[in-house]
Amino acid sequence: MIERLQAPGAIRVEFQPIVRVHDDHVELYAVEALARGPRGTSMERPDILFEYARRKGQESAIDLVCIAEAFTASALLPGAPLLSLNIHGATLTSIDGFAQRLLTCAAKHGITPDRLMLEIIEHRAPWVIETFRATLDELRDAGVRIAVDDLGVGASNYQMIVDCRPDHLKVDRHVVLGCSRDPWRRAVLESIVTLARACSATPVAEGIEDSDDLALLLDLGINTVQGWLYAPSMPAQDLAAHPLMLR
Amino acid sequence: MAKRLLLVDNEETILFALQRYFTRVGFAVDCAKELEEAEALAMYTKYDLAIVDLSLTTTGSTEGLEIIRHLRSTRSGARVILLTAYGSPAIEREACRRGADAFLHKPRPLAEIARVAERLTGSFA
Repeated sequence: MIERLQAPGAIRVEFQPIVRVHDDHVELYAVEALARGPRGTSMERPDILFEYARRKGQESAIDLVCIAEAFTASALLPGAPLLSLNIHGATLTSIDGFAQRLLTCAAKHGITPDRLMLEIIEHRAPWVIETFRATLDELRDAGVRIAVDDLGVGASNYQMIVDCRPDHLKVDRHVVLGCSRDPWRRAVLESIVTLARACSATPVAEGIEDSDDLALLLDLGINTVQGWLYAPSMPAQDLAAHPLMLR
Repeated sequence: MAKRLLLVDNEETILFALQRYFTRVGFAVDCAKELEEAEALAMYTKYDLAIVDLSLTTTGSTEGLEIIRHLRSTRSGARVILLTAYGSPAIEREACRRGADAFLHKPRPLAEIARVAERLTGSFA
């Protein structure tokens, strides 16, 4: 299966809008590329796909395949949106010259660095912190935005924030979903808003599915959001016709 | 809610037959052909039953035992049937020690595998 996943076209990429909610309008902020394995296999589920790749020791190779497929698929999107890509922390240090490889691959698809955001989705020891930071600095200097993904669950913790110095904190849906009805979730979100402000980072809430949760987030000062309330993930050709892309 | 079944075998024909049967009797079935795929599935899904072939790569390999160990280490409550064409008393003892609930030699009629599965998980109806 691992060889099959690395064949051209085996991994499909869908895109989900990330939006900014203003008083009188909603604007597209970015589109997140989300990888899916071959249809009819267990790898259709991204959690299985990446857990399998990790267990095979091919996490970084699969990351590169996903990025290449995302660049290819994004050509169908109108308006040159900010493109958000998931990347395992380990990939930043295990691929020689990762930053240049990423930027070169993007350039081949006509994508400039300022159109890229990298969502770091894992950061497990042991790692070479100097290489990790140097790679992020190289990307940041080129104009790529950095986000810590899944904040609040798993390995997405304070260490990630300290090591990544992110521009965005993407708050995991587990914290967001139902926040309007749960004082504990609200308390966590309040602390993230304070943290983001102190770090000059922008919080992004994932998993917005109802308007009550959205109202609370806006009250707290989080207006960059992503979720089914606005749009599910979908193939590029479908998203290209979505009203958010046409505004 | 449908009971969840993990089928692990590197032979497509066996997976196909077992998947078709157990889907018909109401299970939600996931299939894996490799150790790492089975482990990944078990990380994210709570299974009621796993039917696992002992050898997934070469003759005499014992990936199935690893899968049983993984299921038990994740505190999965899944009942486990281990299938093998190359079993031995030593392998059977090891499978039981790791937490297998049943050990069946292949080839085995589908009806017999189903009977054991029903005994372990309760009525299919």
